Amino acid sequence: MNLIKTRLAVLITATLGINTPVFADNLSSLKAEIAQMRSDYEQRIQQLEQRLAKTEASSGEVKKDIAYVKETTSNIPASKNKNNFNPAISMVLNGTFSQYQNDPADYALDGFSLQGEAGLHEEGFSLGESELTISANIDQSLYGQATVAVHEHEGQTELEIEEAFIESLSLANGVTARAGRFFAPVGYLNQRHVHTWNFADAPLIYRGLFGNQLSTDGLKLSYILPTDQLIELGGTVGAGNSYPGGGEESGIGDWLIFAKTGGDISIESSWQASISHWQSSPEARAYSGDHNHGGTVAAPPEFNGDTDITNISLIYKWAPNGNFRQKNFSLIGEYFYQSNDGSVSHEDEGEFSTYDGKQSGAYIEGIYQFSPQWRSGLRYDWLSSDHKGSDVELLGEVGLLGSKEHPQRSSAMVEYLPSEFSRIRAQVNFDQSSADDDLQLLLQYTVSLGAHGAHSY
Amino acid sequence: MKKLLALLPLLFSHTVLADIHIFACEPEWASLSQELGGDKVTVFAATSALQDPHFIQARPSLIAKARRADLLVCTGAGLESGWLPLLQRKAGNSKIQTGSDGYFMATDYIHLKGVPAVLDRSQGHIHAAGNPHIQTNPVNIQKVAKALNARLQRVDPQSAEFYQKNWVDFNAKWIESMQDWQQQAEALKGTAVVVQHDSWPYLFDWLGLEQVAVLESKPGVPPSLNDLNTIVNTLKNSPAKMVIHAAYQPARATDWLVSKTDINKVTLPFSVGGTDKSNDLFSLFDNTIQRLLDANK
Repeated sequence: MNLIKTRLAVLITATLGINTPVFADNLSSLKAEIAQMRSDYEQRIQQLEQRLAKTEASSGEVKKDIAYVKETTSNIPASKNKNNFNPAISMVLNGTFSQYQNDPADYALDGFSLQGEAGLHEEGFSLGESELTISANIDQSLYGQATVAVHEHEGQTELEIEEAFIESLSLANGVTARAGRFFAPVGYLNQRHVHTWNFADAPLIYRGLFGNQLSTDGLKLSYILPTDQLIELGGTVGAGNSYPGGGEESGIGDWLIFAKTGGDISIESSWQASISHWQSSPEARAYSGDHNHGGTVAAPPEFNGDTDITNISLIYKWAPNGNFRQKNFSLIGEYFYQSNDGSVSHEDEGEFSTYDGKQSGAYIEGIYQFSPQWRSGLRYDWLSSDHKGSDVELLGEVGLLGSKEHPQRSSAMVEYLPSEFSRIRAQVNFDQSSADDDLQLLLQYTVSLGAHGAHSY
Repeated sequence: MKKLLALLPLLFSHTVLADIHIFACEPEWASLSQELGGDKVTVFAATSALQDPHFIQARPSLIAKARRADLLVCTGAGLESGWLPLLQRKAGNSKIQTGSDGYFMATDYIHLKGVPAVLDRSQGHIHAAGNPHIQTNPVNIQKVAKALNARLQRVDPQSAEFYQKNWVDFNAKWIESMQDWQQQAEALKGTAVVVQHDSWPYLFDWLGLEQVAVLESKPGVPPSLNDLNTIVNTLKNSPAKMVIHAAYQPARATDWLVSKTDINKVTLPFSVGGTDKSNDLFSLFDNTIQRLLDANK
């Protein structure tokens, strides 16, 4: 302001200076005139100053208003903060480099029939499953979530709906209902997406029983008791269309019951235990085993009968002061037992065998995160099987012939986590579950883009 | 089966109990809920001040507590986004779903600072809604208390008068304490400080402390040696009196800085229970200011 004033004054005097009249006798009147002009200008300047001050003040008010509006609007996302994106969208990408001593095409799991994606990762570089998950509260009473996985299988790009379900929000008293496709609540790892697993490959028993993971198309109902210790009871009914279910089913094709409990031992450690039982009566469940005869794809051997699976799982977690950010340790153990009672037939060849099979297996893994960015872990898997039937050769054709004393595998991994959204993992397996012992190396990156997903216990 | 039948009465006991079950995500809100709710409420604190509230496991015990909760009292603004949504979904409890009366997020009542201009994960663990660590400023506590009082009255109208009286008492005591704290902390005004994680903007705003550097160059990412050396250089030009870290944060980077410069180290409780002298909201601020004053000597 002062600057403007001085400038104006300088300007005025300068202008007046140029116009200084030549006649000296008019000097006094001129002086008076100048004084008059000066006061005029000063008045005007004052007026201008006042107007300027007013404008400044009002613009200040406007600024305040804007700031106020900004602050209130900035609070809106805070109050609706559940999702920064509605719906929450996240994508998981991963890639693996694998190296094996043996030819992965020869891989077979002793005493089990390998299904679907249960084989080894492709040797060398391979793009893993890319998973897209979209989730949101649908309305006041429902939540919805869908996960679509894209992956390549023998040169073909395959799209798979891993999960797509709706779940109740508005039921009270501990009851939750779910409908759609979801991971069957059998065991612990089965209910988690592959990218949250602690190792790059599935436990052997998951490979052997489910072709990695068991999902259900159907309904799930669960109930949590109003106790301090978590006690959850529930069950599912489903179409029975995913392996080891299968075949043509009308009505209820599989059912499952489960019980889960858990609690805190101290502020530092907590645990969870569960037991679950799944049952199905597959009709014409196809074995996609080694059934290529002379290059022509024959109809595969099929199973008819009853199949049931029982699981027990136990989880223990520890962190100093219960602060998982810095250091933590988890111990996870699961045991599965499957019984098949029925027959295996191969219509094309006119072969038939009665079949009574018991398969079991377990794994135990210990994971130690020793700093916010580093984790390490050890895992030990083992399998056992016993197969009885009238045509052992036919059973052997679909992999149902245990020939090893004790199929097992030991794994070790180390992970570097630049942030909670990315992970680089190196894993070594000493695999004694196939015909020949194998040393396997897996290098893998896994990243997640988009919404920050919550991970279950 | 007999055992199951024996459990049946438990199913109905929930509605019989007069107590309002409050599930507080952080200890400061547990303490505030207790102050305002008195013996009309049963408060459960899901985390302790020694735990990083961003990284909590949705463990079985928390699901069991959430299932019986009438009211969630949490920070919001994304602080609990890694675990709270899961508890809400798994608990089978319609009362605590987002937007219902039993869902109370403290940050909804505060104008948040530090809303990031650019939302990009390359900037580290940022909170889109703004900095959620509001409990370090007693003015914020006062605002949240007012809102929580209203919420308690809505959730439990039968005891409305009781809550109102408790809040009036608390508010008067709190205002008095705030004046004391401000007086005590007069000497801290303008003090230059370094922080480990950007947890304290609300505290510094209140006390007039000046933050000259953050050890974590990006929030949530452990500082590299390079970052730390840059800070040592920064401090040569604009020296700071103290370096502050929360009780739940590891002191490694802080200790390193202390060994390289003549800066004082301060461990602040951050929440109720973070230090052995911070047993409730009042002593939390007593202790916070005491520790800052000690380091300022």
